[in-house]
Amino acid sequence: MTAGVADVAGKGMTRPGKAKFGPVAWLRWIWRQLTSMRTALVLLFLLALASIPGSVLPQEGIDPAAVAQYYTAHPALAPVLAKLSGFDVFGAPWFAAIYILLFTSLAGCVLPRAYRLAKSSRQPPPKAPRHLGRLPQSTDFPAAGPADEALAAATRMLRARRFRLRTGDGWVSAEKGYLHEVGNLLFHLALLGLLASIALGGLFGYKANKLLVAGEGFANTPTALDVFHPGRLVTASDLQPFSITMTKFTASYITSGSQRGQPANFNASLSYTAQPGGPVGHYDLQVNHPLNVDGVQVFLIGHGYAPTFKVTDGTGRVVLDQPVPFIPVEEAGLSSDGVIKVPDAKPQALGFSGEFLPTAYETITGSVGSEFPAANLPRVVLVGYEGNLQLNNGQPQSVYSLNTSQMRRIDYPIKMLAPGQSIVLPHGLGKLTFTGYRQWASLAITYDPGQLPALFSALAALAGLILSFLVRRRRIFVRVSENGNGTVVQLGGLTRSDAAGGFEVEFAELTGEFKRRLGSAAGSSAPAKSAVDETSKDGADEVALAQSKGE
Amino acid sequence: MPSPALDQLSNAGLVSAILLYGFAMLAYALDFLYSRRKFESPATAAQAREKRPAAVLVGAGSGTADAGLAADEADRNFGADPADASAQLADLSAPPGGSGSDVVGLTKWPQGAWLRTAFVLTCLGLVVHIATITTRGLAEQRVPWGNMYEFLSAITCAAVLILTLASIKFRAYYMGLFVLLPVVVTLGIDEAVIYTPEGAVAPALNSYWIAIHVTGMIIAIGMYIFGAVTTVLYLLADRHERRVAAGQESGLAGIMAQLPGAAKLDQLAYRAILFAFPAWTFAVIAGAIWADHAWGRYWGWDPKETWSFITWLVYAAFLHARATAGWRGRRAAYVQLLGFACLMFNLVGVNLWISGLHSYANM
Ligand code: HEM
Repeated sequence: MTAGVADVAGKGMTRPGKAKFGPVAWLRWIWRQLTSMRTALVLLFLLALASIPGSVLPQEGIDPAAVAQYYTAHPALAPVLAKLSGFDVFGAPWFAAIYILLFTSLAGCVLPRAYRLAKSSRQPPPKAPRHLGRLPQSTDFPAAGPADEALAAATRMLRARRFRLRTGDGWVSAEKGYLHEVGNLLFHLALLGLLASIALGGLFGYKANKLLVAGEGFANTPTALDVFHPGRLVTASDLQPFSITMTKFTASYITSGSQRGQPANFNASLSYTAQPGGPVGHYDLQVNHPLNVDGVQVFLIGHGYAPTFKVTDGTGRVVLDQPVPFIPVEEAGLSSDGVIKVPDAKPQALGFSGEFLPTAYETITGSVGSEFPAANLPRVVLVGYEGNLQLNNGQPQSVYSLNTSQMRRIDYPIKMLAPGQSIVLPHGLGKLTFTGYRQWASLAITYDPGQLPALFSALAALAGLILSFLVRRRRIFVRVSENGNGTVVQLGGLTRSDAAGGFEVEFAELTGEFKRRLGSAAGSSAPAKSAVDETSKDGADEVALAQSKGE
Repeated sequence: MPSPALDQLSNAGLVSAILLYGFAMLAYALDFLYSRRKFESPATAAQAREKRPAAVLVGAGSGTADAGLAADEADRNFGADPADASAQLADLSAPPGGSGSDVVGLTKWPQGAWLRTAFVLTCLGLVVHIATITTRGLAEQRVPWGNMYEFLSAITCAAVLILTLASIKFRAYYMGLFVLLPVVVTLGIDEAVIYTPEGAVAPALNSYWIAIHVTGMIIAIGMYIFGAVTTVLYLLADRHERRVAAGQESGLAGIMAQLPGAAKLDQLAYRAILFAFPAWTFAVIAGAIWADHAWGRYWGWDPKETWSFITWLVYAAFLHARATAGWRGRRAAYVQLLGFACLMFNLVGVNLWISGLHSYANM
């Protein structure tokens, strides 16, 4: 790994001299810097740092309402932040720049390493160094039999422990634990896979929302959906052609104790067809239990009330008779706000804004509210307007807000209406009847072809991580020699991937076994190290060096 | 149906656990005062390190003494890591205390009356603590980590569990006092200030993925806590050792004589993170699966998710720092503590100051 060479040997920071190096050398230098461990470290920090504003500022993709609120609260700052992608941090060019650099560095770092690992796994371990005593782990002891027998026995033992071996004159070197590297590479490659999966979802997936009142249905087309976020390469014809009807919605709440009013269960009964004319399926949609149609997932993400109204205008014609979804404004009692727009009423278009109270109460001072989320005592309070609703002035208008700038307040006493009660509007404007209520559910519809690949990548990363932490790559060297007193066995051990320790335990165990099998019954009066050093002079060190350099 | 009687029992349990941990701390402290451990003092270990020129050469990879190794190290596929080599040397230079034992000078089971008492009290406290959490779960008929109160109880329980396991496995009995201190403080605050009576959780939390995801988080956090405490001790020990080496006064000599030295503490902290990081990774993946089931997307940059990601990145940076020249040792330790700060911010700060879909954890 080029990066490692640069860092560990401390040579990474030497720039190519201008006189001697051309543009190619500079490119090489830049590439080396990019793929160095130090750069990876800095980029990891940068990515972490860059994520922070995404958690502090409201984000367009998560909570557009909060972004709008931020604009009103900080009118001077907000446009500046918007310019800097402050409300879309995770889609910002500067955020992308960091992770693209990081993943380039990752690829540049990992792919050559994978290649080198594949190559070195087919090569035998290096020769045993001459001075085993200088290794982090080493020991020596006298052996019972002649040297070649001790060596053969040592070789057998190491082979039985599934080490890869290389033998030579009076030594054997053994290596084990390639899976450490394999795990590390798998982890890093899987991160690349994860990025690719996320990109796949971003290009070919889509997200949509639909508010559905009980009893109604819709088909999966861009126009029928309330909110539609297609991936970059998605067109309308790519949408799966299913349709869904919600036959019933039920919600139950905890009725006593300290958690009174907390939701206990939601259930949306759906019937659906995967394509027009196809067989009809039924599904009980609940939180955490999405419906899967044709690879698209449909989730229950919210609910509320849609009071039903009947409006008769001044001419006696019924101009509105339908449920109108109201949006909950507080959780404890699900008081919900909403508006009713009646553009076709004669002689004047009508508009109402008001509140639905599932379990209504009224205080002595006259303020009203809802004390429980279930519709135990459903009431509405409405304020009426007449005039121009401005629906056709070219500006898109939310169905949940009323533009009263060109309307007059209709004068009638405001009070809570029970189901079946009406307001008779003065001046022959007509009549509004609160006929009852239904419930609505909001559905999230998501299609993400990168989902499964992302899951597999994440699991592969985890497996790689565990593998690289569990397996340690280590080498054991044995040298056997004879001196005046008999046979001497020298053992040396070395590990690179063992920063957490533990190799010394393995080495001690191995030493114990070697001594039991090979050791002389006489005991352990180890000969002086210098004697051993002098006897081995085959220059294995130099060979090992040459070989490593050649890589 | 939730059962108030079981719930009361479980509250009494938590108070008893706090008391047992408190007494255990006292016994650990008395052990520090009255027993002499058989550690070699860190200062002599440091001197011993200096005295092994051959091994230091291996570590430095100077290319002459053992060129084969140095070249290997440059290859970065393999080779002696200087930091590791010196850590191992600290072992080698210590007097042999049972073959292969990790912390030389300590046996597997605690030695000395005070230490034994402390450890038994810790184990008792842990058993009571686990029983407390279990009864609360039975009382509520769900996994007992659905709000802040329960969550804090669970992560401190995990930290004590990791402490006892590490005590036995790595002979890290000396960690008892230091891990129990934040545990007792946190549990005290939990019981006195944050207490929440039993109750059900919102439907969005009612999934077996919550059990998997949050259990993973809790275990990972327990290990991260252990790692952070050990790292603080490492930084103190390192400062102490450098001062002693420079012939300066160090006010910590008394405590440091009872600890195994900076190199060993560093290794212990690293071990904790080696376990914690995959556990955290697993928990984040499980969380993504749960989010996908509940909200229709596996990742949505919700503040909690964002901070889990930041935490993950910083701990990944820590693991990298350990393998980057010039970053090992104290700098890496600071990176780890930064990761821990992000973790704590995610638990407390995000709940208090930033709202999101995960706002269930509100106190
Ligand atoms: C998305 C960015 C990255 C993340 C999240 C990440 C994470 C990690 C983690 C968690 C480890 C420790 C696990 C193990 O040893 O298997 C690790 C190790 C490693 N990473 Fe990365 N990494 C990233 C990018 C890079 C890059 C760009 C490089 C190349 C410079 C790199 C090189 C390495 C190396 C060489 C190790 C082994 C360290 C050792 O020997 O202990 N990584 N990485």
